[in-house]
Amino acid sequence: MIPLLGLLAGIVVGIVLEPSIPQVLQPYLPIAIVAAMDALFGAFRAYLEGTFTDRVFVVSFISNVLIAAAIVFVGDQIGVGSQLATAVVVVLGIRIFTNAAAIRRALFHA
Amino acid sequence: MDLLNQIIRQPVDPDYAVVAARGDEPVRGRWVLALLAVIIGALFAVAALQTTRAAPALKSERSELINRVQNAEREQDELRVRLTSLSGEIATLRAAALGDDDASGVLETRIEALDPVVGNAPVSGPGVLIVVDDSPSATADARDRVLDIDLQVLANGLWQADAEAISINGHRLSSLTAIRSAGDAITVDFRSLTRPYRVEAIGDPRTLQAQFVESPAGAWWNDLAQNRRMRYEISDVKQLDLAADPGMVLRHAGKATS
Repeated sequence: MIPLLGLLAGIVVGIVLEPSIPQVLQPYLPIAIVAAMDALFGAFRAYLEGTFTDRVFVVSFISNVLIAAAIVFVGDQIGVGSQLATAVVVVLGIRIFTNAAAIRRALFHA
Repeated sequence: MDLLNQIIRQPVDPDYAVVAARGDEPVRGRWVLALLAVIIGALFAVAALQTTRAAPALKSERSELINRVQNAEREQDELRVRLTSLSGEIATLRAAALGDDDASGVLETRIEALDPVVGNAPVSGPGVLIVVDDSPSATADARDRVLDIDLQVLANGLWQADAEAISINGHRLSSLTAIRSAGDAITVDFRSLTRPYRVEAIGDPRTLQAQFVESPAGAWWNDLAQNRRMRYEISDVKQLDLAADPGMVLRHAGKATS
């Protein structure tokens, strides 16, 4: 319940306050969001399986976002930024789909 | 493949299982979780806001650029009209300056004979119309597109077939006209063309088409039409009107030695 409320509160805060992201960080925002979605789905699945832990979630979320952003950053420096961004999206996308399928099975038994 | 299998087999962070197996996790740090949830929500909102905010800006930038291009083109057309009227004025002044003695008469005949040939005067008469275009599958294979060299070969073939005047999509060719590609488009006289390419040539209606087809250029285009399925249509036209090349300028002038 807390995460869901927090999520909604965050969306409201984002819309109301409209914090401006520094120009330098803007290219990494979409990647960070995909990594965040991956962490969220993973956490929800762990929650359904009864293994969810706050600390692991926090650590995995932060490290996911940082690593994804770092991969894209390094890619930008060596000229393959968009390709590496695609790679990150593909890998995280596969994980999101797999986790979503497991969540669906656990929730609806289908 | 092993990497992908690994991703599918283990989509959840393995640490969850490790910590749960240890079973000694105290309930604390709820506020960190809430804070993180707020941050994630804010991330979503900010990204969505930025994308929707950037869309109209990009659109207006684009239309602004299109506007500028259209303005520049209009200005260019106006300048061309002015150029034509000024050239007419020059011709009148030249005729007045030459007077009507014998030497001037000779000069005027030479000017009249040379003007249509070099592209400085509009010409009309019978000729051929050649329409060429990319093949229908051009999007799949870049080699199926008409290139600048194809149009160059076409124009040179027409000169070879004794064409007196040629224009491509309304741009008169002179001996100084460049046909080259710039980006995706072919330019003639540095103005880009749009497909299909209509090449008009004035010449002897009895021989022009036959000579062109027999020339190397005709063979080149036959090959393109058959092997690359490009559009290539030749037809005789009774009356063609080709404008003068507006790019003609006076580059060199000397005092008449008479």
